[in-house]
Amino acid sequence: MTLFSLARKNIKGNFNNYFVYFVTLVFSMVIYYTFTSLQYSEKIQESIELSDTMSFMFGVSSIILILFVAIFILYSNSFFTRKRKKEVGLYAILGLRKKTIAKMLFYENLIMGIIAIVIGIILGTLLSKLFAMILIKLMGSIAEVDFGISILAITQTVIVFMVIILFTSVQGYRLIYRFTLIELFYDEKKGEQIPKVSLISAVIGVILLVVSYWLILKPFPDEFTTEYLMKNYGIAFVALVIGTHLFFRSVTVYLLRLSQKNKSRYYRGTRIIETSRLLFRIRGNARTFTVIALLSSATICFLGATYSGYYSNEKRAEEVVPFSYSHLSKGPEFDSQVERIIKADHRHPIKAQLDIPVIQVKGILSFQLDYDINPVQLISESTFNKAANALNKDETVLLSRNQAAVIQPRFTEYTKSVFKGENITIQLPQGSSELPFVHMVESNVLPFDYPDFFLVVSNEMFAEIAKKEAPLTYKVYEVENEVTAQATSKKVNKLVGNDFQVSSSFYTEYKQGKEGNAITLFIFGFLGLVFLAASGSIIYFKQLTEANEAKGQYEILRKIGVNKKDIRKSIKRQSLFVFGLPLTVGILHSCVALYFTSNFISNLIGINLIFPILMAIVFFVIIYAVYYVLTVNTYNRIVNK
Amino acid sequence: MKTIIEAKQIKKVYGAKGNVFSALEDIDLTVMEGEFVGIMGPSGAGKSTLLNILATIDEPTAGDIVVDGINLTKMNEEQLSAFRRDKLGFLFQDYNLLDTLTVKENIILPLALAKLNVKELERRADEVADKFGIRDILNKYPYQISGGQKQRTAASRAIISKPNLILADEPTGALDSKSATDLLESLKDLNEQDKATILMVTHDAYAASYCNRVLFIKDGKIFTELVKGKRSRKEFFNKVLDVLSALGGGANDVI
Repeated sequence: MTLFSLARKNIKGNFNNYFVYFVTLVFSMVIYYTFTSLQYSEKIQESIELSDTMSFMFGVSSIILILFVAIFILYSNSFFTRKRKKEVGLYAILGLRKKTIAKMLFYENLIMGIIAIVIGIILGTLLSKLFAMILIKLMGSIAEVDFGISILAITQTVIVFMVIILFTSVQGYRLIYRFTLIELFYDEKKGEQIPKVSLISAVIGVILLVVSYWLILKPFPDEFTTEYLMKNYGIAFVALVIGTHLFFRSVTVYLLRLSQKNKSRYYRGTRIIETSRLLFRIRGNARTFTVIALLSSATICFLGATYSGYYSNEKRAEEVVPFSYSHLSKGPEFDSQVERIIKADHRHPIKAQLDIPVIQVKGILSFQLDYDINPVQLISESTFNKAANALNKDETVLLSRNQAAVIQPRFTEYTKSVFKGENITIQLPQGSSELPFVHMVESNVLPFDYPDFFLVVSNEMFAEIAKKEAPLTYKVYEVENEVTAQATSKKVNKLVGNDFQVSSSFYTEYKQGKEGNAITLFIFGFLGLVFLAASGSIIYFKQLTEANEAKGQYEILRKIGVNKKDIRKSIKRQSLFVFGLPLTVGILHSCVALYFTSNFISNLIGINLIFPILMAIVFFVIIYAVYYVLTVNTYNRIVNK
Repeated sequence: MKTIIEAKQIKKVYGAKGNVFSALEDIDLTVMEGEFVGIMGPSGAGKSTLLNILATIDEPTAGDIVVDGINLTKMNEEQLSAFRRDKLGFLFQDYNLLDTLTVKENIILPLALAKLNVKELERRADEVADKFGIRDILNKYPYQISGGQKQRTAASRAIISKPNLILADEPTGALDSKSATDLLESLKDLNEQDKATILMVTHDAYAASYCNRVLFIKDGKIFTELVKGKRSRKEFFNKVLDVLSALGGGANDVI
């Protein structure tokens, strides 16, 4: 029998032992291959006409994925070899030469790796089709997805994984040389010891967490510099990581110890068993808990922030470009040319068509406002009301001769009270006139163009000023079903050029935002899913290893008269703690971080982000719950047959 | 005197059709309250199978067992668990202590599971700890104490719930001779002073000599029975050795 066939038989014979490791390998490859094949898929590249950032984003994500997958495989490999040390020791005792054993371990790992690559690529091909459809659906393109096999993606996946597998195989080869025989045999006996309570590190842990939360939550300073950003949030991040670790390492020990003090609770039923088990394992689990809490908070943040962007895209686009098409009038011939293009599109009939005359003047406010208001754009009361009506906004303005209403400048958070009781002095050729503010409205009528300071004045006033200062006329159109007006928008954009800082047609702005958001949502969502699956699996595998080690302990319990139901209950409670604790901490962290980001985002777009963030958290908890149920069932099957 | 164990025609068969191995064949056993009974026999004779069946950890293929008036064969899993918790105390060769609990927590575990109130629980823990002389190590963990101390901890756990029957499976098997003697003396005291009923499986003639009565099993059947009666422990020990040599195989174990 050759060594190669011995290794092969080894795998076949104990497939159950190898299964967990094997699944990890396949899983990592599926994820990686899916991602790279998407990256190389022509269809996806094609259907993104407008986003240049895509290949960059995909590139960065793919590096993160490689790192992640490598760490994940190495982690589970070391897990796997630890369990097999005894077997290796046995071979040595039976008289196999060290070199032979080393070679055998090497081949074994290699065979498994190669099989995993093949399976991974097959599964990955199927999955990438699914993911491609999801991505295209998210972006709103109606492209067909090809079910092609990407040679480039296969090559890249094979290269990356062969490197990782060769590395782990060499690790396996070295195993027998790294340890003495006795170490191989007694490894599992080492056993954990009961952790001591360290009040100091518990206190430091809490303080660090409080400090980092405080740094994250404190309001933005007036001067918002990169240096501040790096310093403030850099410190906050480091404090958060260390604080979380100390929390799990010391604070939980402290709390569990405290719960032991209450004897009449502690000495009742199986609680005594769970509490002491958890206490015993906490040192071993602290690092895992930390990693999982941070991973899950990062995942929730990713999902929450990107989903928020995606969710609010239409509103944001509508705010930035209120009408379907807008352009500056450039003479009757030009205007009618634009009109013909829009009218020719029968699938998007015109709902409203308006002229918006705007007069640009110089103005001085009666108070200090940190916004550059000049030139002030004046529109008349009736124009504003008509435009708001055409856009289905229920805002109307009623002004007497001298009064003025301000339209909230976009991307700012000024409230009515800022303008209340104040006035603006408009400088006109025939002298200046003072207009008191009586209103602030939020409906914008023209595409964004900085400075975005619009003033609604009464019709009489407007007519009077217009005599001296000729107004510019904007032509705006609102059409049915503007979110699909792709072809016409393209033509209009080409003709109109750059009248505004943003696009002159709603569709372009909407589509751009949607694609950008869809790609970030997809990439972060994908990474989020990977992190999620990884953190769930880490807990799952860890608990199962623990279950195998604890088999004997549960048998003792059965002997002294604990029934199966109570053991199951006890497993449930214990797993709830193991899953719940890092999850709770993770959610807490992510809420704090999202509070910060959503403040940041809603400052920019003025949209309530509670719903999308909540959705992200709920989604996360549901997936986690599935892992929890899976773990409890398997754990129970192992120790409670 | 009350009958604690009444087992009739116990059979235990392993394996499926064609390849059947019979571990116990028609064993009858009666143990009265306050007895200290030993079960001996060569390896593979069925001693541990019998003990496991009496302990309700294993089920007999056929036969009836009544412990303290309760028929074991008619109970479901939950009732059996409660039965083990309330009526039985266990002592095993490998101690079967939970590593994550302190000595004290290990001892009180059966009472905690039975949800006894804390005061009573603490009182009883002190009581048994004194009896076995392990008061000083109550707050230590199993990995911090010696084998003899572990077995005394296990013994404390076995008797804390005042069980009707203590079942011991090779309790001295892993102990040095001094610790073994200490433990056996404690069991004897327990039997004589507290009238505890003890059933002990052993293949050590020295341990068996502490019993009132010793049953010998060979190939799944009862081979013979020895009663100590008025004999001294030394005499009884020699008697046991005689039977073992007649039994064959088992004598090899006695050194």
